[in-house]
Amino acid sequence: MADVNAPMPGKICEVKVSPGDTVIEDQEVLVLEAMKMEMPIVATAAGTVKSVNCKTGEAVQGGDILIVID
Amino acid sequence: MPDQTTHKSELNRLAALTEKAELGGGSKAIEKRHNQGKLTARERLALLFDPHTFVEMNQLAESQAIDFGMQKKKVPGDGVIIGYGSIDKRLVFAYAQDATVLGGSVGTVHGRKICRIMDEALKVKAPIVGLFDSGGGRIHEGFFASKGVAGMFYRNTAASGIIPQISAMMGPCAGVSVYSPALTDFIVMVEGTSQMAITGPGVIKSVTGEDVTLEELGGAKVHSEITGQAHIVAKTDEDCIQSIRDLLAYLPSNNEEFPPVVQSRDDPFRTDSSLEEIVPADFRKAYDMRKVITRVVDQGSFHELLPRYAKNIIIGFARMDGQTVGIVANQPIFLAGCLDVNSSDKAARFIRLCDAFNIPLINFVDVPGYFPGVKQEYAGIIRHGAKMLYAYAEATVPKITLALRKEYGGAVMAMCCVGMGVDQMLAWPIAKLVVLDTTTAVNLIFRKEIQAAEDPDEFRDRMIKAYDHKYSNPFHAASNMLVDSIIEPSQTRPALIKALDMLKTKKRAKPFRRHGNIPL
Repeated sequence: MADVNAPMPGKICEVKVSPGDTVIEDQEVLVLEAMKMEMPIVATAAGTVKSVNCKTGEAVQGGDILIVID
Repeated sequence: MPDQTTHKSELNRLAALTEKAELGGGSKAIEKRHNQGKLTARERLALLFDPHTFVEMNQLAESQAIDFGMQKKKVPGDGVIIGYGSIDKRLVFAYAQDATVLGGSVGTVHGRKICRIMDEALKVKAPIVGLFDSGGGRIHEGFFASKGVAGMFYRNTAASGIIPQISAMMGPCAGVSVYSPALTDFIVMVEGTSQMAITGPGVIKSVTGEDVTLEELGGAKVHSEITGQAHIVAKTDEDCIQSIRDLLAYLPSNNEEFPPVVQSRDDPFRTDSSLEEIVPADFRKAYDMRKVITRVVDQGSFHELLPRYAKNIIIGFARMDGQTVGIVANQPIFLAGCLDVNSSDKAARFIRLCDAFNIPLINFVDVPGYFPGVKQEYAGIIRHGAKMLYAYAEATVPKITLALRKEYGGAVMAMCCVGMGVDQMLAWPIAKLVVLDTTTAVNLIFRKEIQAAEDPDEFRDRMIKAYDHKYSNPFHAASNMLVDSIIEPSQTRPALIKALDMLKTKKRAKPFRRHGNIPL
């Protein structure tokens, strides 16, 4: 089990995966806007997306668990 | 015992001792290592050096300890192999701990042997490589062993900045076998089989009650991602040895020499129009700075260090027209490329390493500023950020900075700009060299006017355009000589190589002082 955390506070621009999707390590799963920059957030491990805990447009805090990969 | 000493009798005696030394902890212990996927200390050294060049020293040195049954356990060599040989035809010294002999523990003689080879390396000024595989000091020998241990630290420090020192962690290491590497220039760790910790899980459990495995506490993942200790992670013993050879190829033998120049097959005048596509002119879009670096430097020459630690800054060696350079670059896809405590530490130490070993610095800048927040301030970003300022200002090697996009605020100084002693300051036409990003600047300068305006948004937009046109560009900076040249992105490689070439003979005398007082 691996969590994809927000590396910094920001706004979710895009969610690129849904629960049940298979992902590989370092695959882009989210786009986070922070410090006036849109940054790709990648999967921390390979596996299946168990849950997506954020949606487009949502403000998140640094450290928030955005996606859980099983 | 033969009645008379003959050549033959003494040769036989030597052969018997050599055989015993070469067997280390014995064939069973060797077999056990092989089953664990590990090489023996001798096999590691054989791979490290060019074939048939390794010369072993003090093979017959053995422990003088007699207490606690140690007399019966001694083996010629005392659990460490020291010597010298060639790596890519250049002289290199090495020591390799043999974990099959008393766990590779650092006994008095073991420590003296390592000190001996370090002295030799420093005497002739050639790099030294340590292959660590040891639980630390040999407690059976009491306090005696500490002299060797302390001697290692003393020599690591004495050799720092004079000869390159590389440490490879090739087994579970603790105590002296982690602090000595910490004092050297590079640490390579083997994934899965090497760990580094000051106190092990047992002690931690008894003192703090925390339950942790040695791998969770100090495995390659921890040190390459969390602590920033391990510059390189290798998959196997063989990979680890190869990565040491690769590293040495970028480095001079000592601080008085230049790194070896290799014949480059990449055209120094090669232009690259894809750089304009890789780096979006829309500043809100991030991109992977590594794509820029790998296209600009000699093909296949970029050798990143600490790639998974403080990913908002990139450091590593590369070659430009065959010449070693040190790369320091902001990484916009991580923390927007902001500087913070860990990235400052990572970059500052690398800058000083390059400066110590005559390696010119090329800085790729796209930095929005320091990462804001209470956490960063409490973590001491003032002190840690100051290390980068100090390191760049102190460095006398050629320093070339390229502004790609954002050159915002105080972080600009930390990436080496005019005033910080940069030798050549280049910028792309889309770069913005400003104190603040335009919107923030306009909101501050025209706060009252915006409030008073009939249509505040229209007024703000108009002022943003005016400010952008006047200041947020490299032309304003170039008119004030804060930028030496504005270059086309496609010309980045030839422009940097020409600047490097021009600076080749740069010399800046340092005034005598014991040493500066870098904020540590």
